[in-house]
Amino acid sequence: MIQITQKQLIEQLKTLKEIEPRKEWALLLKSQILAEQKAIPVSVKIKKTIPVPFPEKKAKSIGIMDILSSVFFQRKLAYAFTVVLFLIVGVFGFAINTVPGDLLFPVKKITEQSQAALTGQTSLKQEVATLNSRINDLAQVAKDGRTDNIPSAISEINTKASELAKNLKSNLVNDPQTIKEIANSLKTLADVPGTDLTANPDVKDLYQAVVQSQIADLEKTTLTDEQKNALAQAEDLYDQGKYADALEAILLINK
Amino acid sequence: MDNINEQFSLIYDQYIDKIYRFVYLKVNSQEIAEDITSKVFLKGFEAYKNQYQTPNTQHPIQNPGAFLYQIARNAVVDHYREKGRTPVVSADASPEIADPGESAQEKAILSADINTIKKSIKKLKQEHQDIIIWHYLEDMPIASIGKLLDKPAGTVRVMLHRGLKELKGLINES
Repeated sequence: MIQITQKQLIEQLKTLKEIEPRKEWALLLKSQILAEQKAIPVSVKIKKTIPVPFPEKKAKSIGIMDILSSVFFQRKLAYAFTVVLFLIVGVFGFAINTVPGDLLFPVKKITEQSQAALTGQTSLKQEVATLNSRINDLAQVAKDGRTDNIPSAISEINTKASELAKNLKSNLVNDPQTIKEIANSLKTLADVPGTDLTANPDVKDLYQAVVQSQIADLEKTTLTDEQKNALAQAEDLYDQGKYADALEAILLINK
Repeated sequence: MDNINEQFSLIYDQYIDKIYRFVYLKVNSQEIAEDITSKVFLKGFEAYKNQYQTPNTQHPIQNPGAFLYQIARNAVVDHYREKGRTPVVSADASPEIADPGESAQEKAILSADINTIKKSIKKLKQEHQDIIIWHYLEDMPIASIGKLLDKPAGTVRVMLHRGLKELKGLINES
């Protein structure tokens, strides 16, 4: 066996200088450490006390490859961020045109809720707007002949109608504009071809709540004889459970 | 230099390779070496900026290199303490240290000679390892090593001689 000499050993030890950290790791670590704190100005007095560490070797300057590598990593991050941003904007943009039953419809619902929260709409106005939106969705689905989406659209309307009816029954609404909006929405719903929902319990509940609220409001108002007759007729229809017809009669009084 | 970040950036550039090499030769894998080196520089930066935030500090960092090496030594000791094993116990009884962390890529990078020396260095006493690495790999003068270890230059010279002799014996054995 060949025995190594001291000189050979020292030579071999010097070959260990080949060991170096990965460049990208070293750059990343540096940026992470230095990003921990923004630049802190150092006073001239303190600067004077800073020694040059191990003066036998000059500090290694940052090479062009280091800078390029650093820029590359920053760009990669920026590209990734841009792609994610575009994806989010794209998903939300695309979701606006979806209807119940579509994959991205939940995103549309979230967007609507966020918009309502941002514009500071009251709970009632938000519910009316959502119901309106769902009715428009149903009208669109019926118009496009997308029969697969109709059950989902009707289910959405039922849910919203039920929520709105509960809200109307528990809080007497004195805002004629809101009631008129609901009445118009119900009229639009009634006009959607092939989808008569007037017998649907949730929608019927909503009709009842709207008519009840309107009758209570009109009873407090000064009416002409003709309007009084129309109101009496609406009350009769209400008593018979014909809420849709009663609403029609009330809408004529308000005209 | 206008701020601490720039100052530390220069220190980092000057010492990242040295500290990494110093740690790598004492641990079993690139991953662990990177982990420990990260901790060393994070701790170093914290201490470096703190000395300016509290200007009346009793022991300002006079020699950042020595300071980083000291953190690195402690970090390696902590690493082995956490793992529940000691890499080196004495010059006489040197247990074989497993090297499971070395990937095929690492093995390819390091030549057979380098691997043999690396494994043999790990069997030396910690102080002998440090002195050999600092003197032969980092070209640090004996006097600077003495300051770092708080020992007279003569003692360092003797330790270097003993360490080298022991290393030679280990390599010839393998």
